[in-house]
Amino acid sequence: MNPRAPAAEPKDVAPRAPAVVPASFPPAELKATCEKILARYPTKMAALLPILHEAQAFGGGWVSPELEAGVAAYLDLSPAHVHGVLTFYSMYNTKPAGRHELWVCRTLSCWRRGAPELRAKALDKAGCTRTGEVGEDGRFLVKDMECLGLCEQAPAIWLDGVAHANVTPEGLEQLMDGCE
Amino acid sequence: MAAKTPKRYPETKVLSRNFDVDKAWTFDVARQRGAYRSLEKALGSMTPDQVIDEVKTSRLRGRGGAGFPTGVKWSFVPKQTDKTKYICLNADESEPGTFKDRYLMELDPHLVIEGCLITAYAVGASMVYIYVRGEYPLSIERLWGAIEEARKEGFVGKKIAGRDFHCDVVVHSGAGAYICGEETALLESLEGKRGHPRIKPPFPAVEGAFASPTVINNVETLAHVPWIIENGGAAFAKQGIPPDPADPRSVGSSGTKLMGVSGDVQKPGVWEFEFGITLRQMIEDYAGGALEGRTIKAVIPGGLSMPVLTGDELDVKMGFDDLKAAGSGLGTACAIVMDDTCDMVQACENIAHFFADESCGQCTPCREGCHWMEKIFHRFDAGQGTRSDLDLLENLFRQIEGRTICALADAAVWPLRSIVRKFRHEFVAKMSPDEQRAEAEARSARQPAGVK
Ligand SMILES: Cc1cc2nc3c(=O)[nH]c(=O)nc-3n(C[C@H](O)[C@H](O)[C@H](O)COP(=O)(O)O)c2cc1C
Ligand code: SF4
Ligand code: FES
Repeated sequence: MNPRAPAAEPKDVAPRAPAVVPASFPPAELKATCEKILARYPTKMAALLPILHEAQAFGGGWVSPELEAGVAAYLDLSPAHVHGVLTFYSMYNTKPAGRHELWVCRTLSCWRRGAPELRAKALDKAGCTRTGEVGEDGRFLVKDMECLGLCEQAPAIWLDGVAHANVTPEGLEQLMDGCE
Repeated sequence: MAAKTPKRYPETKVLSRNFDVDKAWTFDVARQRGAYRSLEKALGSMTPDQVIDEVKTSRLRGRGGAGFPTGVKWSFVPKQTDKTKYICLNADESEPGTFKDRYLMELDPHLVIEGCLITAYAVGASMVYIYVRGEYPLSIERLWGAIEEARKEGFVGKKIAGRDFHCDVVVHSGAGAYICGEETALLESLEGKRGHPRIKPPFPAVEGAFASPTVINNVETLAHVPWIIENGGAAFAKQGIPPDPADPRSVGSSGTKLMGVSGDVQKPGVWEFEFGITLRQMIEDYAGGALEGRTIKAVIPGGLSMPVLTGDELDVKMGFDDLKAAGSGLGTACAIVMDDTCDMVQACENIAHFFADESCGQCTPCREGCHWMEKIFHRFDAGQGTRSDLDLLENLFRQIEGRTICALADAAVWPLRSIVRKFRHEFVAKMSPDEQRAEAEARSARQPAGVK
């Protein structure tokens, strides 16, 4: 019998830094990283996805219009191209994303193993009426996600970039209570 | 069932040989267990063409879903060209129900990297991009860690293993889009664009990443290559299901395969078998069978994108041709099980939602059709479905399948159509009494007299 690959290595979950608007892109903190990323590809455009990941982490979990414009200028891309990419991929947020981001997998294996109950619990605790919204207290953004690749440990969720598997509604409640 | 299968079909640990070895993702442990020995062998004693021939001999077929012969794919890459050639490792693994590549990347990343480098040597590539879905942070971390270790030890970068072979390896993280697993969408995404599949030809082997010749293979496919180089293609071809002698075009299903089970079973998981284990053996003997007091109603044998088999149709061998002959497909060989408590109308709604959500939107039949199907299933679930809705669905299936740029739309049709046909009674049971009566009348009109 094989050991199960871990869902993730345990990490402390810190609340997000408040959104920062840098005067220009890349901000000093990201300069070295961005240059390292650019060196990996024959075109500047190819650095767009990885740099958007960095920008989003820097910006407090979402890519503000200012950051978006900064990235476009930095990579010599049209703002329309960057916006098109940003809105195509489900991991990027274009609106403030709360202090914590919670994803609930909704796809078949998780659906069979209790995802609907988790979703209801998540929305309830976050005080949201629907997914894709931040609750009134600004604590949680709850997102419906498609298969997270943890189906053998369904149902699966993600909290602030950390996967959790075999989650029960009670377990989810505890995880969410642990978030400021 | 125990009487029919007295002996448990054995596991064969080739790709998974290091899965239960502590810290096999670190260079020292992996190297001790033989990592990079095949790379040294290929660079030291084989020409690139010999490597390709060995892989052709192995009859290795792609493990990403389509099953294309790997050695043949490599031989399409032009030999004479001034352009940089690329390897793109497809580690997007966003097919629902599928988690096998994650095990390889998290537990044995050096094996994955070695496979990429041997491939790069075979086709003359000098750059490897590993496109990992953004939802696999641990895979990304372990791969980067392994790359940096291997670089320090002289297995990545310039003068690999002291030979005149130079190749760099980079991990590229996706950002949440199923379609980026489709090979040309993956290339678009790698280039910094939306994941819109390209019209083929040109095929990636000729014009792929950055308009240069590119080999795209699945993680598991290339993870097989070191073993093939070490033991020879013929040894690999001896495992699994041989080609059908009656069919000259058959390539069979050679070697081992990581297979998984998730959904309504006791012990979901992933195991490695030679092709040939039956779906039932895998589900009952390894995944522990149905949950307490339940029975298995339907299984998708590989991912979400293949037609379902019913609980009575599980005695089929896990193999490319066998599952095709059974009206389904191997797909990713990670099965999703639904038991008798599963409402098949709602299952369709769930599946249709997935494809509607993940359609890239380029082709009208896919973009509109998937949403349309979802709406119809929703109507059934709300008790408002009619017999003509079932006809409408059949019509939609016909209008969508085979009419789009990529296979996502087909992948939506296959499971849904098979459920609608095999579980029609569940759809009828949710119709109004009038509709149900009409259905019963139509049924009895179709039956010859005297037959119940
Ligand atoms: C919608 C769609 C999604 C796909 N997703 C994946 C995927 O996540 N991983 C993968 O390896 N192949 C995926 N494929 C198959 C690839 O297009 C391609 O056939 C494969 O990467 C080739 O590698 P192989 O020959 O080693 O299997 C997908 C195909 C389609 C049409
Ligand atoms: S079939 Fe669907 S996913 Fe594929 S290219 Fe067309 S619209 Fe996009
Ligand atoms: S279906 Fe939820 S992780 Fe795969």
